[in-house]
Amino acid sequence: MNNKTWVSSVIMLSVVWVSSMSAVQAASDESVTVYSSREEHLIKPLFQAFTQDTGVKVKYLTGQDGSLIERLKLEGVNTPADMFMTVDAGNLWYAGSQDLFQSVKTDTIKNNIPAHLRDPQGLWTGLSVRARTIVYSTDRVKPSELSTYADLALPKWKNRLCLRTSKKIYTKSLTASVIYNQGKDKAGDIISGWVNNLAATPNAKDSHVMNAILAGQCDVGLVNTYYYGRLIEKNPDSALKLFWANQKTTGVHVNISGAGVTKHASNVAGAIRLLEWLSSDKAQAIYGALNKEYPANPNIALDEVVSAWGLFKQDKMNLSQAGVLQAEAVKLMQIKGYR
Amino acid sequence: MLAVDNLSIIYNNNKVLDGFNLTLEQGEIFALLGDSGSGKSSALRFIAGLDSTDSGSIQLDGQQLSNHGKHQVSPEARGIGMVFQDYALFPHMTVEKNIAFGISKQPRIKQKKRIKELLTLIGLEGIERKYPHQLSGGEQQRVALARALAPSPKLLLLDEPFSSLDKNHRVQLVAQVRDILKQTNTTSILVTHNVSEANTLADKVGKILNKRLTIK
Amino acid sequence: MMGLLALVVAMPIIAVMLSWLLPEHELWTHFSENLLSSLIGSTAILLLGVGIGVTLLGTVLAYLVVMVEFPGRKWLEWALFLPFAIPAYVLAFVYLGVFDYSGYAQVWMREALGLPGFDIRAGSWAIILTFVLVFYPYVYMMTRASFKRQKINLIEAGKLLGAGPFKVFFKISLPLARPAVAAGLLVTLMETLADFGVVSLFNYDTFTTAIYSAWGDFRSIEVAAQLASLLVLVAFFLIYFEKRARGQAKYYSANVSNIRPYHPKGSVGWLITLFVFGIFMLSFAMPMLQLSIWAWGAFADEWSDNYIDLLISTSSLTIIAAMITVIIATTLALPGRCKRGSIWLKGMVRLATLGYALPGSVMAVGLLYGINQISVVNVYFGGESINHIIYGSIFLLLFAYVSRFMAIAYSSIDASAQQIKPVFTQTARLLGASRMRLIWQVYLPMMMPGILAGGLLVAVDVMKELPATYLLRPFGWDTLAIQTFELSAEGLFERAAVPALMMVAFGALIMMVFRYLDKKSYKAS
Repeated sequence: MNNKTWVSSVIMLSVVWVSSMSAVQAASDESVTVYSSREEHLIKPLFQAFTQDTGVKVKYLTGQDGSLIERLKLEGVNTPADMFMTVDAGNLWYAGSQDLFQSVKTDTIKNNIPAHLRDPQGLWTGLSVRARTIVYSTDRVKPSELSTYADLALPKWKNRLCLRTSKKIYTKSLTASVIYNQGKDKAGDIISGWVNNLAATPNAKDSHVMNAILAGQCDVGLVNTYYYGRLIEKNPDSALKLFWANQKTTGVHVNISGAGVTKHASNVAGAIRLLEWLSSDKAQAIYGALNKEYPANPNIALDEVVSAWGLFKQDKMNLSQAGVLQAEAVKLMQIKGYR
Repeated sequence: MLAVDNLSIIYNNNKVLDGFNLTLEQGEIFALLGDSGSGKSSALRFIAGLDSTDSGSIQLDGQQLSNHGKHQVSPEARGIGMVFQDYALFPHMTVEKNIAFGISKQPRIKQKKRIKELLTLIGLEGIERKYPHQLSGGEQQRVALARALAPSPKLLLLDEPFSSLDKNHRVQLVAQVRDILKQTNTTSILVTHNVSEANTLADKVGKILNKRLTIK
Repeated sequence: MMGLLALVVAMPIIAVMLSWLLPEHELWTHFSENLLSSLIGSTAILLLGVGIGVTLLGTVLAYLVVMVEFPGRKWLEWALFLPFAIPAYVLAFVYLGVFDYSGYAQVWMREALGLPGFDIRAGSWAIILTFVLVFYPYVYMMTRASFKRQKINLIEAGKLLGAGPFKVFFKISLPLARPAVAAGLLVTLMETLADFGVVSLFNYDTFTTAIYSAWGDFRSIEVAAQLASLLVLVAFFLIYFEKRARGQAKYYSANVSNIRPYHPKGSVGWLITLFVFGIFMLSFAMPMLQLSIWAWGAFADEWSDNYIDLLISTSSLTIIAAMITVIIATTLALPGRCKRGSIWLKGMVRLATLGYALPGSVMAVGLLYGINQISVVNVYFGGESINHIIYGSIFLLLFAYVSRFMAIAYSSIDASAQQIKPVFTQTARLLGASRMRLIWQVYLPMMMPGILAGGLLVAVDVMKELPATYLLRPFGWDTLAIQTFELSAEGLFERAAVPALMMVAFGALIMMVFRYLDKKSYKAS
């Protein structure tokens, strides 16, 4: 005996303690539980407003998309999550393909969100639209020199291009759209061209790309517009501008953030209520103001900063293609040495 | 009092000590001489119950401790004390705590009294609160002796206890230890390779030669 | 019992190993054709550079601080521990903010000095330097302790034979400290191997890149786990080499020597001060200044009562995880049974200490899978799934911490157990002590310096931990590390500086407790 008893009593104690923790957790039923890969500071104000409007509390857990999907899968029927919220259509499509969502088709959602931003089977709903386009230095580039994503692969941009890392999902989805629009071979050439034109190792963040352009390390880059929005809000005099890519061809690559009701939700009614509310005018306006994204609901007036960038033609690629082609896109980038 | 019968020690499949027999009377001090590798320390460790071997029986005070190489009483319960070459005083305990370690079951007052008694015996009064690293080598050795004597062991084993001391201290300490052992009438076995040390301390001296013990 | 304990700790690692039962040839073909050779190359360069860097910097700093008298020595001896409190990814984002092409330093160089700008993320030197500056405290910490405990007579003998400070360093001190250097190096290399935050900020591809790509891009948790198991293998070899480097040498002697330091002549002392202070500036003071500037501007926006909750959950996770890890590591490291145990038992303990080389998220998923497998088996035998009790509970997160940080606690505690010579055990037994008494009154007090050091190192690491916490935490257990990550992921560095600074302050507090206990332990022994 001796140290055996000592260790086992410690383990027993911790088991008792854990069970008591779990008991506390399971107690609340009247709330909606959300797993979200959107960061806390972007979702908290929305959920607070929802609770004010409806009296329904929202519990949320943030995390990285891949990890949260894995957690949902493993939790299976026991998951506490009623809703999964994530960015990028690729993630939504993948969660749908893993049978993690249930179909939700209500009139409210149909009326608020255009069909191409929703899953055809109603598994997930887009809640905001983000455009990924060209940003350029107003000191060193004339807008007339710019045209398409593919154009940035031409030799004239040698040592003038900054890109975000290929590991970021936004890059993967954009590349998927290039494959979709131009075919795999052409897409491979475009990626090679980008890599050849890089003025710096691909950046970890969109904000780093813009800083590099401002500092003169490169002249053009690709960013999600809301990062530009945040920068310009803080420094309105920055010598940077957005250029809408592919306007004469397929249109600007857009993506969505969105959410779906989980397959094993325990509070389905509450989760649907939250989803409907998120598509409402009020919530959609908060979305735009918080993060300078485009509302998914087309009836909402744009945020002042955002509307200043003007209207643009969107790529009409069905967004689930971003998910279908994502693995292909990554392979291609890895083969062509786009880090 | 102590009877060791037919003890053999084997190193790497090589018998180094064979048919070791020894009897000691109460209070008798025996010194065991031998070259390194002669198995003298192993014999001591077998008597203490720390190591085992394939043949050898031990009787202490009428109790069978080991029989044909198998220990029947664990080291904790043998009532045998031991002093090691590098003293092995617990570094995190004061002198007082070190000495009390073997008599912790006695009432505190009795412990205190015993510690005082022992410190007087080893001639180191007033160092109760000191830590081992604050003592000289000779002082540490005497404290180790006091610690081993505290539970009044039936048999005391001393494994090269003086070898890390310098020569002057050694001569002085050997005589002092003999006095202490005689005063407490403790049956003892000393293992050493130093002949004069053995002669000064012991009543009876044995030497291991060609695997055999010869007693002078 | 001990074997079972080790087995439980090793469970996530075993789950990762078992992934080989589900081979996926297509993805492996793609990886081996297009990625692996270059990734192995870049990982090897990184490990080599970081290894050489931390060894040089860590040992030189430790030697200077212990053996040479220079102005400000007492103060700098402790200041050099502080970078340990800064999470590696925080240091990386500060360095990029300051030294990248668009950072102040380069802007100033170009504008004031007319020098050309450059891409610090190109090549490997900048990321190697970053890792060296953030991880040198491991080598410094362990080597310093070793220098302090080196037998004074050896050094005095060297001095009497006419050896100068350089010769004493290379011929006596360094060879004696080799086991400590190797231990520090091992921890550094394992942590570098598992890093995801720094490499992604630098966009530097290592082996973890392939793991994340398999998981994130190709949705193959199996291939991710298979790749991760190769990391475990590398860790295994690193540990093997560390053991060999340690050899039969004792980790450190139990006694502290009163080493009389060298007194350098003239301005040499001040030059040394300049060097050591420079390292302190670069690795701690400058990043703290930058973080403070950022935090100053964003504090009003960012601060809310929420931070009190973050602080409470961070500190309770830190303390509880450190305590559990230390208790288990101590049980495994106790002299006696386990050490004399079978090969199986020793192998289990080895396995239980390999988790440090796994990226936190892989470890976390391995854990989820392991639990799931137990449920599957349990259901098969007519029992119930335990998933719903375990998933999302604090128990799971603590489990992950224990598995991941066992290596740190164990190596520190085991080192202190190594110095308990068998003769202490024998003495205690002959004095009639039971095993229980032996543990409480002899082993634990003698292992205490190692237990404390191990516990504090684990605490700092738990505080900084991100990926496993992010994936496994229950509701309401957000930590400062998560807050820092979420804000910086969106490029909001100014706001991210607020929780980052709080983390560093908390870590510095832990280091101060360490300092206090360390001083006490030197006094007592």
